[in-house]
Parts: sequence; C-alpha cells; structure tokens
Amino acid sequence: MGRLLRLLLLVIVAIALFACDKDAQQSPAAIYENDPAAVKRGKLVFAGTCGAYCHKLDKGQGGFPYLFDCAWQHGGSDEEIFKTIRDGVPDTQMVGFGGALPDGDEDIWKIIAYIRETDQCGEN
Amino acid sequence: MSGLGQTVVGVIVGAAIGAGVFYKITESKALNNTAPVAVQAPTPESTSSGDTEELGAEISLGSVGNHWTAEEPIDNGAGPVTAEMLNSGTSSNAQWLHYGGDYRGFRHSPMKSINPESVKNLKVAWGFPTGTTGQFEVSPVVHDGVMFMTSSYNRLFALDAANGSLLWRYDHQQPKNLRLCCGPANRGVAITGDLVLMGTLDARLIAFDRRTGEIRWDTEVASYIEGFSLTSAPLIVGDLAITGIAGGEYGTRGFFDAYNVNTGERVWRHYTVPDEGEPGVETWAGDSYKRGGAPAWTTGAYDAETDTLFWTTGNPSPDWNGSERAGDNLYSNSLLALDPKTGERKWHFQFTPHDVWDYDGNTHIFLVDVEIDGEPVKAVAQANRNGYFYLIERTTGKFLRANPYVEQVNWATIDSDGRPIVDATKKPTDEPTERVCPSNMGGINGAWTGAYNPSLGLVYVGAVEACQHYQSGISGFVKGMPYLGGMPVPIDVTAEKDFGHMTAIDAATGEIKWRYLDRNPMMAGALSTAGGVVFTGNQEGFALALDAETGNLLWNFRMGGVVRSQPIAYELKGESYVAIGSGGWANMALLTGGPTNIPDGGHLFVFKVPQ
Repeated sequence: MGRLLRLLLLVIVAIALFACDKDAQQSPAAIYENDPAAVKRGKLVFAGTCGAYCHKLDKGQGGFPYLFDCAWQHGGSDEEIFKTIRDGVPDTQMVGFGGALPDGDEDIWKIIAYIRETDQCGEN
Repeated sequence: MSGLGQTVVGVIVGAAIGAGVFYKITESKALNNTAPVAVQAPTPESTSSGDTEELGAEISLGSVGNHWTAEEPIDNGAGPVTAEMLNSGTSSNAQWLHYGGDYRGFRHSPMKSINPESVKNLKVAWGFPTGTTGQFEVSPVVHDGVMFMTSSYNRLFALDAANGSLLWRYDHQQPKNLRLCCGPANRGVAITGDLVLMGTLDARLIAFDRRTGEIRWDTEVASYIEGFSLTSAPLIVGDLAITGIAGGEYGTRGFFDAYNVNTGERVWRHYTVPDEGEPGVETWAGDSYKRGGAPAWTTGAYDAETDTLFWTTGNPSPDWNGSERAGDNLYSNSLLALDPKTGERKWHFQFTPHDVWDYDGNTHIFLVDVEIDGEPVKAVAQANRNGYFYLIERTTGKFLRANPYVEQVNWATIDSDGRPIVDATKKPTDEPTERVCPSNMGGINGAWTGAYNPSLGLVYVGAVEACQHYQSGISGFVKGMPYLGGMPVPIDVTAEKDFGHMTAIDAATGEIKWRYLDRNPMMAGALSTAGGVVFTGNQEGFALALDAETGNLLWNFRMGGVVRSQPIAYELKGESYVAIGSGGWANMALLTGGPTNIPDGGHLFVFKVPQ
C-alpha cells in the first residue's frame, strides 16, 4: 500500500511538473487567447495602429498582407510573430512597433492572441 | 462585361446598381527628331548621401543610373515661363502649366478642336512607360513643346510633346524606410522661369533646369522619418513655390510652405494646427494639438484678382478615434484663404469639424464666378470628401450651400451655417454595425482632380459610391509610426456593392446634371474642353471621352492599366493632343474598390485628333 501510494504520488507530481513546464513554455499570447478582454484589446490595437491600411481584412487576391490565413512569411510561431511586430521587416513597409504601443510588449502579445483567435487556419 | 458605363440624365434617387549619378544623352534631341533616343553606357559617379540608400525590395527600380541630362539645352523658342504665362493658364492652347490647368483649378482647355465629333477619331500618337509600380497619378505639364511627366516613386521625364522622345530623365533615389500611408504617388511638377519643381516621397523639393534636367537646388522640406512626404504638384505664385505635406496618418503637425524659386530657401510656413497660445488651439483637448495632423497634401488655387491663395487641409490625427482630441480640431478639414506673400490667414471655413471618418477637406477646389438669385457671386466650389458639394463665398469665407453629390450620404446633414449635424450612430465604435456613407475614400478624394466648364457652369468629378463600417481602435503616438486610432472596414467592397460615376454638377445650384455610371469607383481626374468634351478614365483601363452636356460616351480606348491620372490637353503645330496616364496600385483596391488582378505599371498614352 505504502509503496503503491508513493508511486501514485510520484506520478501525480511528475504530471504536475510537466503541466507547469508546459505553462511556462506557453507564450503570453497563448495565455491571452483564453482571455476575451485581452483578445478584444488586441483587436483594438491592431485596428488603431495599422489595420486596414497595412493588412487587408478580406482574404481576396492581391493587396496588402493578410494575417488571418496562417500563411506566415516571416515565421508563424508566437515568438516569431512577436519579433516581426516588434522589430519590423527590413526593406518593407512593415515598421517595427517595439515601444510604440500604449502597453508595450503586452499589446503585441494581445495582437497575436487576437490573430490566433480570429484566424482561419485550415480553411481554404 | 465591357466595363463601360451608362449615362443618366438628372438626379438618381436611392441606392444604385451594382541625386546622384549623371549620364549624357549622346545626341542633341531636336524636338522634330522622331528617332529613338540613344543613351550612353552609364559611368556612374555616385554622390549618394549617407541616408539615401538604394531602393528597398518593395520599391526596387533597378540598379542603373538615376539621372540622364540633355547634352544641349532644349530651346524651341517659347522661352522661360513668365508670370503672364502662368496667369493666362490654358488660354494658350500650346501650354498646360498648372496642375489645375490654371490658377482657378478649372482644368478646362479652350480648344474647340476637341469636340464631340472630332473626339471619335482620336488615335494614339505616342506612349511612354514609367517603369514603376504604384498609382500613376500625374497631371503632366507642357511648355515649349516639352512635356514634363512624373511617375510613382518620383521619376521625372522630359519628353518631346509631339512624339514622346526622351529629352532628359531623373529617378529620385528613395530611402528604404519611407513612411507612406497610401502608396508611392506623385501628381506632377510646377514650372516657372527655367525651372521645373518636384516634391518627393522623402519630403524634399527639387528644382531642375527645364532645358537640361540638371538640379539647380534641392531642399529638405521635412523629415520623412517622422511620417512626412510630398506627393502633390507645387503651385507657383510670383517667386514662390508653394507646397504642402502629407502625413495625417502619422500624427504629424500639418503645414504648407512657400519657397523662393530662385534659391530654394523657405520664405514662410503655415501650420495647419495651431500652437500653444494661438487662435484655434482651444479646439483641441489637452495637448492633442501637438500631434493633430491636418496635412496639406494637395495643390491649392490662386485668385490673382484679390491676390489670395487658397489651400485646403486634411484629417485630424488620429483618424478614427477622436476621444483624446475633443473639440472642432481647427484647422483640419478646412478651406484656408491666405496672403501668398506672407502665408497669413485671411479666413477659414471648416467642412468637417472633429472628423472621425477621414473626410479630408482637401479635394479639388474651383474658383468659380456664378450667379445666385440674379446676383454675381465669386465663390469657391468643392466636391468634398464628405459627400457634399460646397459653395463658399470667395472673399469672406461665408457658407452659401452644400448639396450631396453622391447617392449615399448618411453621416450628417448640413445646417444653414454649413455645420454638419452628425448622426451620432454613424460614429466609429469598437463593435461597428452601422453602414456609414461615404466610405473613407470619400465621394471624391484629393488623389484625383475634377474639371469645370465655365460656359456650361458644370463641375465634373469622378466619384466613389461605397459605405463602410468605421472601427475605432487604440493607438499610441510615436513619431514616424502609424497613428490611426481605428480603421475602415470596407463592407461594400467585400460585398461588391461599390460602384462609381462621373458626375456633372451645376456649380451655382449644386444640382446633378448627369451621371455616367461605372461598375467600379471612378478614381481618375478630369479634363474639360471648350469643344464640349470631358475626359477621364476608369479602373478597367479605359480612357473615356464624354459629352460635356449630356454625359453620353463619345469615345473610349483600352489603355489597360487602372486609370488614376489627370488628363490634359495641348496643341502643337496646329494639332490637338490629349494625354492620359494608365497604371493603378492594386494593393489598395481591396480597401477602395476596383480590380485587384490588373497589374501595376505606369504608361502614358497621348492621343491626337487626325487632321
């Protein structure tokens, strides 16, 4: 009994540690994705900085880059998107927004959360 | 579908249907020489400055040299451009000296040789490529048998106006990090004496010798890195070149300047947003005036009779969220009357106080003389971006009338003093559901011109019929970064409900005389002729000639590219020419409406009436 209990406890601790580690690896965007207020903030910052003038709102052919089809040109992980927004893309009109948004990096993560929440990955 | 529209006479009610490197041209280019121009193999002598780098990937124009001057000065006998010539506007058929055709902005040629009969025989005389992408919005200038044509990204070409031979060329070298809200447009040059002047996307004003293409002076107007750019043609008044800046999407403080044409030195600057302690600053909450926008990105007009300069201004910043700039936000979206010698304001009229839709007040203005109730009235007429056609008394700024000129206007009505009575439900929200008209492109936009036929008393404008959701948002101000406060959601474009028309408006009454309908927003400029023809183009690539009295289609020619340019007319050796540029900017079409599948690429077409 004692041995079995110790084994069970070990398994529980291992699962808990794994879960904690997984949370630790989650980007702030992934966490904000489950927070409607954060997603909405991301939408409003996206709209207020350079929404329709820089990124088209409809998937149609041509036009400015569309951000909601998961066809990322500069890396599609949360961290890569964060870097693109923060630092910009050289030789393009994508300027770096690092330090330019009202809540700094938090707003960048919330923009990413909004994109993740709104995207149409897998849809043709 | 042909893409060609139909004309409707009368008012339509209700929603409708759907610096640097020099090369010499090897041969002297006499203007009657029809042989192609040969250019020496380039031997670059780079004079690039530290902050002027090669073009970035998005705007690469090739790695060849950027400046080809004429070996022998061009001289066809007309001599320097004088004040008299500038005052005479288009009265000499051989010249087209101003962006607006004349100081009053009529874009009306006195040529009767281009009439409803002859226009049917128009044939291509010559063409010329720009080699650039992006909207080709030029209104060429013609003097001494030479056409001066600019393109997107600030290429400047001097061409034989009779046959298109290249005389000299300059390709401005742009920095990689331009700040452009709305594309790489340039709308043309100004000309005076022996100088041709061009504003650049990196906010410089450059003067060239019109005969050789050599640079006489090059002045920085503003710091482009802060969001300033120059896209419009300057206006010459006396010894001054007047030009305004774009940058209303970057929280800049708007202004327009006057430069001594002989030296390139600034003579005065007129800020369009007041500073601390100045009249009008009380119309901005807190310190919002410091980033108030109100750019002056189009060309003004000049009344020689009263020595008054007229200039117009654009949106307050940020565009779609006015919560931090409570008040009327003077002098955004306004018509300003000024002393051209000092830049001091005489009066102002604000079309759209506290704008939250991007209804720039700087669409084309016409200095018209009309009759109202039997009395002659000197007025300024304007089809404003907000959907209303205004008539303002020219010496006092008194509001006379405003009438809607597009079918769909619902954001406000206008009271007897000219102040909008805004429908509060039509303001931007964070969850927009209201369909608001016009769209932020406006009924008409400052990117293209109209024309006025003084004999008929009709103003002609290409118009956009589209409505949007206006989404408010959040933005923080940092110099050089987009500062928009929201965005337009182009619901009509997405649903393919947008369309356009060329509309004839009675300048005195504001009544619609006729409309020529097109299935896409009509976003090209206009030209009127005394012979009774109106020229424009559509987004399916057609150059169009319409009957000035009826709007009936008289002639068309498929140039191919989306038409966004300003047509002009001129006469050489008894022959009549019309020039229209072809070439759009597909990037913006999903927002503004129009074809997204027609490739960019500027090309000028020049048509001639066969003798």
